[in-house]
Amino acid sequence: MSATTISSHPTHYEDRIVTAFTMCSIIWAVLGMAAGVYVAAELVWPALNFEQPWLSFGRLRTVHTNVVIFGFGVSALMGTSIYSVQRTCHVRLFAPELAWFVFWGWQIVLILGGLSLLAGYNAGKEYAELEWPFDIAITVVWVCYAVIFFGTIAKRKIAPIYVSNWFYGAFIIVIAMVHVVNSLALPVSLTKSYSLFAGAQDALVQWWYGHNAVGFLLTGGFLGMMYYFLPKQAERPIWSYRLSVVAFWAFTYSYIWAGPHHLLYNSIPEWVQSLAMAMSLILLAPSWATMINGIMTVSGAWKKLRTDPALKFIVLSLAFYGLATFEGPMMSIKTVNVFSHFTEWTIGHVHSGALGWNALIVFGTYYFLVPRLMGQPLHSRAMANVHFWLALAGVMLYVLAMWGAGISQGLLWLSLDDFGEVRYSFIEVMEAMAPYYLLRLVGGLLFFTGAVLMAVNLFMTMFNGQTVRVTPPIAAKSGGH
Amino acid sequence: MNLLALHKRLEKHTGLLIFGILFVASIGGLVQILPSLFQESLSTPIAGLKPYSPLELVGRDIYIRESCSVCHSQQVRPLLAEVKRYGPYSRVGEFVYDRPFLWGSKRTGPDLHRIGGKYTDVWHRLHMLNPRAVVPTSIMPAYPWLQSRSADADGDIEQKLRALRWLGHPYSDADIETATEALDGKTELDALIAYLQMLGKSAGGQQ
Amino acid sequence: MASSFSIALMPRVLLRPKAVFSQLAKDSPSATGVFFGFALWLGILPPVFAYIGAMNFGWRLGVVEPLFFPWYITLGISTAYFGALSFGFLSAAFIARWMASTYRADVSLGAHFALITVVGAPLTMGSVMHLYPHVFLNIVVLVPALIWSMYLLYTGLPVVLKTDTERGMLMASAIIGYLLVALVTLLGITVMLWSYGIGPRIGI
Repeated sequence: MSATTISSHPTHYEDRIVTAFTMCSIIWAVLGMAAGVYVAAELVWPALNFEQPWLSFGRLRTVHTNVVIFGFGVSALMGTSIYSVQRTCHVRLFAPELAWFVFWGWQIVLILGGLSLLAGYNAGKEYAELEWPFDIAITVVWVCYAVIFFGTIAKRKIAPIYVSNWFYGAFIIVIAMVHVVNSLALPVSLTKSYSLFAGAQDALVQWWYGHNAVGFLLTGGFLGMMYYFLPKQAERPIWSYRLSVVAFWAFTYSYIWAGPHHLLYNSIPEWVQSLAMAMSLILLAPSWATMINGIMTVSGAWKKLRTDPALKFIVLSLAFYGLATFEGPMMSIKTVNVFSHFTEWTIGHVHSGALGWNALIVFGTYYFLVPRLMGQPLHSRAMANVHFWLALAGVMLYVLAMWGAGISQGLLWLSLDDFGEVRYSFIEVMEAMAPYYLLRLVGGLLFFTGAVLMAVNLFMTMFNGQTVRVTPPIAAKSGGH
Repeated sequence: MNLLALHKRLEKHTGLLIFGILFVASIGGLVQILPSLFQESLSTPIAGLKPYSPLELVGRDIYIRESCSVCHSQQVRPLLAEVKRYGPYSRVGEFVYDRPFLWGSKRTGPDLHRIGGKYTDVWHRLHMLNPRAVVPTSIMPAYPWLQSRSADADGDIEQKLRALRWLGHPYSDADIETATEALDGKTELDALIAYLQMLGKSAGGQQ
Repeated sequence: MASSFSIALMPRVLLRPKAVFSQLAKDSPSATGVFFGFALWLGILPPVFAYIGAMNFGWRLGVVEPLFFPWYITLGISTAYFGALSFGFLSAAFIARWMASTYRADVSLGAHFALITVVGAPLTMGSVMHLYPHVFLNIVVLVPALIWSMYLLYTGLPVVLKTDTERGMLMASAIIGYLLVALVTLLGITVMLWSYGIGPRIGI
């Protein structure tokens, strides 16, 4: 009965790991978003770095991106994948002790990694800044994660593998592939290495990695979350199985090619740029197919919204998913990219996806999951509703401020005067950004406040509670879950 | 076997599903990225390009340590307004010794690929120690700690050059042996400025 | 068909949204009545304010000097603005009506026109800020106005279109999704037009 002993009871789902991942994910969300708010403030008041190396914008921004993606995001994916893979396979998790190693291993990588970034140990590649010892540790933990996930699927009691597991599975496999290749480096010392790739070749490998981190971690993995938790909350099956099949394979195939759209008009071969642009546009179809699947599933389940604040978040997240997966291909068109590259528009796009889609669907999933995990009702539905409005207001303010800033930057940088010379100095354009940075800070603060409210709400729900023991159903001869 | 039927087979077999995902997800990389790793033109240095000197290399590594790339790009695009603002557009052959590449994704501050020689060393010194001393409305952080650390504080310049030589950079034995000496009496600020002052000079005079 | 749709609804919805929505629910406004009687005129206000502001104060983008254009260019931009607003209004209303049967909502076009008109009140009234076209001030006024409009959409849609709160929430989210995509498309089309030389002088 004690929560501290590793249970050898074989017949219930291993959910304490899910609780552990969820709690850590929430803590990383608060820390990572706090770092984000702080760096946003530094762009308004640079003195906020107090001239300390570890507080300077460059290092702290790197901590922000790593903590929100790998701390908040990946912990959420690991936790929810473990929860859902067991239930879609009707079987207890494979190798629970290994799963605890994955949990602890990941959190230790995050803590030490975050500290290393503050100390300035940086490999210099976006979303792959952690130096080579961490790259190896990540690979080891990741392989173990793959083992427990696919091991659970291998011992499933239902023949067909459910769609959410294809997406989580693709997330695990593709991230492993891109991480290993992109991290290839020659170590010089324990804290420094040089990339195996150089110059333009490095750029191509980096963005093959970087875009697929977005594609298979932030999109694919979270679609796995959506495909499990949405039908569960809606208490209806996914609207179209066939659409999910087509969308999955088209998605897995197309996303990989889009990487070089981060390098349009840069010094890489033209054919690679054009191919990336074309595939990015094609990618719109499977992305929206999945969104439609989600929307049509939930539209039949409208009654649930009355009692379930969680579903509101998921519904809104699908709208932002639609926006972000439309905006991405649009910004991959060279004519648009000419204006948007290097500007705040890119930042706006990132955050419409990261806040509007990723964060919101995790929030919705957690408001559903945590009460179930703990066998307690949500501590406060009123707080969850306030959170909804703070999140919506925060995202809208953030995105609109960045759209305004980005379009201005793009236009003003390219503007010529009547003599055909550049019209505005860089400084003039930079000064024009100040009010947008302030608005973005307010938007970020609103969003952050909402996240803190959620953290309080969920921790109060967990307080004095204990992870519920759930027994898998007796193996049925036919499918269904 | 039609595609839906193929999927249904994969859906019932863990190993096949893993293989299917890996296969489908590899195609893009194999066709689009792998060829570039064997394409000579992407790894041929532009005429006259030299690998980074010890001081410049230390400076570059400081640039990476402080994450300068998150605000500054190093990629002048072949657009009229950019060429007018920054100078000749960036050529692939200028980056062959860049590990990792530092083209950046964002310009909170200006592009730096052609910054070499545009400002004096004194300007850079004042700017790094307090950007607002030379650009009153700048939002760039100050980097005062760079002047108190020695350029050879990590003591690993020889290992660095050896590693880069192993990766194909043309350093001679003499280059490596005199590396520590070359850093003698220099601060990290000296190193960073040395790096900035050589950035982009490789295309100087051409177009 | 009786209709109590009047211009007074616009400020009143800001103070007493519930009363206004209940009143609209009881009405059967005609689409042409709402559009030609009210929406069109309200839609002209932002472009007119923008024209007056631009001619008198110039566009203040935060860089050193305000930008002044000749009257025919400003008129052209204002006309395009009116076109975009009309397209946004009509497309939002027609798409909402297309979705209505999925959500068991009222399918009369008049009700949809009335809803979008009234829900847009914060934005319409906020557009008075265009009289001084400083970009920051306009964003500070119009983004909160936008959020207010979104709130009115969520609270008003189920009442005016006579459906459940929850179905209304889903439908409102779908409309917001459409509007976000439409807005970003407008950004994309704008920059593409600039690339093709229709717009400011740029060096690409």
